[in-house]
Amino acid sequence: MTNQPAVDEGDARQQLSRARELAQQVRRSQRATWFPLLVFAVLTFLSIPIFRLGHPDIVACRSVGTLPGGGPGRVCVVHNTATWIYWPIALVVAYILIAAFYRYRAQARGLSSRVLPYVVAGVAITVGLTSLAIWASHRVLVGQRDILGWHIDAGELYRFIGPAATIGLALFVLAYVERSVALVALTLGYLFVVAAPFNTAVRSTSPWGFAPQVALDASVLLAGAIGFALAQRPLRAVAA
Amino acid sequence: MTSHPVNGLDDVVHQRVRLGILTIAHEAKRVEFGYLRENLELTAGNLSQHLTVLENAGLVGIEKGYEGKRARTWVTLTKAGNTALRDEIAQLKRLIQQVDGRR
Repeated sequence: MTNQPAVDEGDARQQLSRARELAQQVRRSQRATWFPLLVFAVLTFLSIPIFRLGHPDIVACRSVGTLPGGGPGRVCVVHNTATWIYWPIALVVAYILIAAFYRYRAQARGLSSRVLPYVVAGVAITVGLTSLAIWASHRVLVGQRDILGWHIDAGELYRFIGPAATIGLALFVLAYVERSVALVALTLGYLFVVAAPFNTAVRSTSPWGFAPQVALDASVLLAGAIGFALAQRPLRAVAA
Repeated sequence: MTSHPVNGLDDVVHQRVRLGILTIAHEAKRVEFGYLRENLELTAGNLSQHLTVLENAGLVGIEKGYEGKRARTWVTLTKAGNTALRDEIAQLKRLIQQVDGRR
């Protein structure tokens, strides 16, 4: 007796095709993309009143020559104290919630997922970018700079290392973990909204002037959460 | 001269249901007995037999426990199982390539 099976080409194709189908079926069952998006949307909406309740704090200033009146000119980075406290805590809580949710789903469905790399990466990105933002506020984000021929207000660079960018980077990791091209597309759209020049188009002297942009960022995440929930709904119904 | 790809196939892995079990276990960190039974459309007895073959070959690990009063059996792919699955897929691809090359 031999342990070598009788195999023909048709059998091999069938086996490979079935293995691919099963792998895709498992990946579809494991996906719960809507939940992290919903958590981040809620946290972003919540940041609006929290940001409003915080108070502005001058982090660092830089001399920029002389003012028209003759006095010395300075530009300063003004940061909201609530942001430094709220976002690092909120993001870590978010990853704990996400990990707990995936664990609950794994128990309920009988199928674990590899969400741990996403949670670890998310916390690492949060710690890394928050530290970078704090450091940059004192050294880099003051005044105006010329970068690769672009003359930009250095404060605008905060958008590339702030909480929204942290969420975006971590979503790329989730897209990789869940092998979801749709999530890559959504994340690119989200980062575009976060970083695009029309961010600064709405300026207001109102203390709520920042709110429309934050609400827009949150709405993109919420729309994504609803879209993914609807797309994954039939599968949930089948699995239930 | 390279050996024919069929020589690299092992019946323990190549069998349709067992290849399915290994594929699902490869995608998930852990998979529960019930999920395998439903998705592979098997009876509990039939699935148990295949799992025993795979466990005896050292390709999967089986962990039994309780969740509340409910008995649960979790299946994980071992390192040897991962290698065996990778080899099987590679051999199947080689076999198809060889046939396509002759046409």
